[in-house]
Amino acid sequence: MFFAVPRLAIVLAIVFALLLATRLYRQWRRRLAADQRPVPRLPAALLDGAERTWVVFTTPMCASCGPVVERLREAEPDARVVTVDATREIPLADAFRVRSAPTVLLADMTGEVQTRLVGAAAVDSYVRSPA
Amino acid sequence: MGAMSGRPAPIDPRGPRFNQGVLTAGLLVGFLFDWRAVAPIFAAVLFPGAAFGPRYGPFLRLYAEVIKPRLSPPTELEDPRPPRFAAAVGVGFLLGATLAFAAGATALGWVLALIVAALAGLAASTGICVGCEVYLFLARRRGVELA
Repeated sequence: MFFAVPRLAIVLAIVFALLLATRLYRQWRRRLAADQRPVPRLPAALLDGAERTWVVFTTPMCASCGPVVERLREAEPDARVVTVDATREIPLADAFRVRSAPTVLLADMTGEVQTRLVGAAAVDSYVRSPA
Repeated sequence: MGAMSGRPAPIDPRGPRFNQGVLTAGLLVGFLFDWRAVAPIFAAVLFPGAAFGPRYGPFLRLYAEVIKPRLSPPTELEDPRPPRFAAAVGVGFLLGATLAFAAGATALGWVLALIVAALAGLAASTGICVGCEVYLFLARRRGVELA
């Protein structure tokens, strides 16, 4: 029964499904990137009264995130640095349009986002010469 | 880094994706021509990378030494443990396929091999790695430090 369907048809079906999945995935990423909703303030629980807070959105597979956190702590010992697992805090990550890790936000004491850095290279560059 | 902190050295995520792309193409071509040896061959190809780390996988090594130097540096690095786990699951499925072929259950053998091909193809083309997600789920339950 399995081989009643020509092999070529099965292979083509798998390739077609993979191409379709790739296309849908890219469309979804583009739609997320085009999101124009206003960025909210960071929740007070993350700020804990600090004047400057770095919020580092991480994922469990992100190998650059740990070094980024260490880099920020070294560069700004007076600032608060907190990490948020974007795969666990999905509504929070979604509200701040986190699409890759590390995504790093710098907030003032009111929670307003002052700076947004995406990727370890962006953090490195910021730490070397803050904008 | 890995030895000091207990975490393995991070890897360029394009390496596993190249590996998955080769695996998908190889298994689909093997199925097309009913070449059953493709299952044990790819099980043997995946095994060293899954068991001992990326530097021991033939296609991971090929990527690192031949392809990667010709590309721009990776924008992000990733933990190698989830893709290694996914590769180990692939080895398991391909060994199952090999046993099924040996026992005369050809259809079952190809179903197992095509599951690997489809999932590896999905990971190669989109980055959505089902085996990696299973690893993360299990690691969280066991309290393994990840990020």
